[in-house]
Amino acid sequence: MLAFLAASLPLFYLLRRALDAQISEIALILFRGKTLEILATTLGLTAAVTACASLIGVALAWMLFNIDFPFKSGLQALVILPVAIPSYVFAYSWILLIPGFKGFWAALFVLVLATTPYVTLTTLAALRRSDWSTYEVSQTLGLNGWQIFARVTWPQIKNSVAAGSLLSSLYVLSDFGAIALLGVDTLTRAIENIYRGSFDRSSASILALILVAISALLIRLEERSRQKLNIVKSSARIITKGVTTGKLRIKLIALLAINTYLALGLVIPISQLLSIFFANSTSINYSLLSKASLSTLLAACLGALIALALALPVGVLSAQGSKLGKVSDKAILIVHALPGIVMGLALVSFGSSIGWLYQSLLLLSFAYALLFMAKAVGSVRSSVARVPENLIEISATLGQKKSATFRRVVIPLATPGLLSGTLLVLLAAMKELPATLMLKPIGFETLATQMWSYTSIFRFNEAAPYALLLVLVAAIPTFLINRPDKGDGLGGDRI
Amino acid sequence: MTSLEIRDLTVQLGSREVLKNLDLYISSGLFAAILGPSGCGKTTLLRSIAGLITPKGGAIRFGKQLVSISSLVLPPHKRNVGYVPQEGGLFPHLSVEENVSFALGRRVSRKEKQEIVEQLLDLVGMPNYQKKLPQELSGGQQTRIALARALAMKPAMILLDEPFAALDQTLRAEISQEVVALLKSSKTTSIMVTHDREDALVSADIIALMRDGQVVQSGSPSEVYLRPISAAAAESTGDILTLPARRIGRNKYLSPLNSPVEQIGKQVGFESGQILVRPEEIVLMDEPDENLVSAKICKINYYGHDALVELDFTGLSQTIRARVTDTKGLVVGSRVFVSHKGPFRWMPEKATGE
Repeated sequence: MLAFLAASLPLFYLLRRALDAQISEIALILFRGKTLEILATTLGLTAAVTACASLIGVALAWMLFNIDFPFKSGLQALVILPVAIPSYVFAYSWILLIPGFKGFWAALFVLVLATTPYVTLTTLAALRRSDWSTYEVSQTLGLNGWQIFARVTWPQIKNSVAAGSLLSSLYVLSDFGAIALLGVDTLTRAIENIYRGSFDRSSASILALILVAISALLIRLEERSRQKLNIVKSSARIITKGVTTGKLRIKLIALLAINTYLALGLVIPISQLLSIFFANSTSINYSLLSKASLSTLLAACLGALIALALALPVGVLSAQGSKLGKVSDKAILIVHALPGIVMGLALVSFGSSIGWLYQSLLLLSFAYALLFMAKAVGSVRSSVARVPENLIEISATLGQKKSATFRRVVIPLATPGLLSGTLLVLLAAMKELPATLMLKPIGFETLATQMWSYTSIFRFNEAAPYALLLVLVAAIPTFLINRPDKGDGLGGDRI
Repeated sequence: MTSLEIRDLTVQLGSREVLKNLDLYISSGLFAAILGPSGCGKTTLLRSIAGLITPKGGAIRFGKQLVSISSLVLPPHKRNVGYVPQEGGLFPHLSVEENVSFALGRRVSRKEKQEIVEQLLDLVGMPNYQKKLPQELSGGQQTRIALARALAMKPAMILLDEPFAALDQTLRAEISQEVVALLKSSKTTSIMVTHDREDALVSADIIALMRDGQVVQSGSPSEVYLRPISAAAAESTGDILTLPARRIGRNKYLSPLNSPVEQIGKQVGFESGQILVRPEEIVLMDEPDENLVSAKICKINYYGHDALVELDFTGLSQTIRARVTDTKGLVVGSRVFVSHKGPFRWMPEKATGE
């Protein structure tokens, strides 16, 4: 219930702000030529990025699962890594490389690189879950590679691909950093401009609500496309690894494709950052840098903990199929699609009505928690749902009350999932920019805001160490979450 | 240690009535087997006893304590019933020691816990397994640890759901004997669900035969085997032949085993019905005897320790199987003389089926 209230809080404040405006004003804002143009750009960019990212993501995942490479697990981890690089760091590094790197196509390029890992990650997970024996059977039934993919693999993974695509499209909708740096006029940037330029919170809120509506629509769309998928495990022991393609030609093509992606998404940006960093390494203000790192970690950790506390009941309820859980779940997902700037806007209104909260660290962490709670809820839900029902029953017959069972059986078994959910929040919070810009206490600088203030006054050289550090810090949780050797750590399938 | 009394238990799962007005009584300290084909509701019965299912109606009593009446139920954690599900259901995140001591509360000191665990592991024949994880154990070992875990809380009753189904045949006999001996010696009322006749007949003090959500007969193994109340009940415990017959007097019957088939058909005015015969109760003789009917051997199924001989009686549409220990002198196509040494189990016409 608390989580639900917390999740609906920003929406409430947005509505209140928006309703401050007159109806005629609203109509004016809505049907201005500029608004429509912005809307078209936003939708176009979102659609293009999602399509490209899905295509590339599925291809990468398929290749990484089905083709035998040397250092395969290393590659699987590396391909996910770009998710750790904030979009504005991407944009920044490419601006450093190509002067005059700007506009719609530049944004498309950067965002595809940044969001592809979402699709790769979900698809890879689905592939690992799928029942290998079906592939073997279809081979014996005379299907070739493409037919197997279309008729056997695709039905088993399409829900996960859709989920990944949704994440990617929501990312684009709410992105602010890259788009602002590359000068593309989308809704987020328009909101920022209106708010900064005229402090016109009503107009900003109206645009924000449009954004929320689009996000909600996308979520609905994804839900519609999701079919009930019952992977009937035909064999008691599910075989997850089988014969992989070993043809040299296919291997080389795949290796080339994967390495191209890695070069564009990882090697080039990072080497760019590194070279700038080393070229200016003497002039770095280390005390400022370390202070910013600590602040980032503090705020993000606090945010992740709040997120876990809020996500736990929602995830559990939703795993148990409770109605309240489902509603909260959805609210949280919509809030997740809120651009940081909008969350900032909403919480500034909320914070200023409760004096001591305004511009406090707590409010900032709370914003992080709200923004990224969906990540935690998702992993809480799936890991709780995976705890075998019979273990819960046995615990009851062993004299344990529901609360004791929850503490002694459900939580320990779900811990890997809970941990990775919390880490996901941490990762996202550390690179959050727009909401931090609005909500940070005076004098409190995170890596992201510090970097932003350098780049916005074109002191690119000084921004480099911050960008680099952001990438490094954010890369650690990514590695932890995607440890390919660990599986899910649960013996759940055994039962 | 307590008795179990179930009256009129009805359980509905979804739209299906899985248990229908089921009655069962098991006295204190006995080892009971619930035997029935899959889908007859035996696991549902076990889960109702454990409190994991809320029945639609009926009452369950542990001794004098009412634990379930109509849909008012005592929750499972207050029933003190040990439940050993199929394949053990050990907690994968806990070691053997932690699994076994799971039910022991905070009031039990660490040292006491260790002692109890040690005793129980000795009891189930797995000493020094404390630190192992469930994944490291074989199926049979998991079952035994699950049993130790259930015993740790000194349950009023132990419920075992197909505990030996996952074991391979050779291991099965050994482990099931050990477990049964252990439970009997602990004097805990135990209820085992199984679809395996031999498991039930060998181990149980009392067998309850289940069919379609009801207990059709219960009693000692020899009782349910030798005196089945219906053909269906007889079939649950072993092979059975159903033969047309007529009753011609007190304890006097005509059947294909003691009278030519056409003669039975001619008899009118006597009560008609069926008799149930176990294949091992049919005796074959190759020396002619005027008092006996004869039949032709149409097939011999040889199993090693015994053999089933299929007999063709003139005028009877079905073949009759006889179990013999020695096939010497029996030749397919030859005629033999047949007699019947067991009790005549008479099923009057109306009472056939269930």
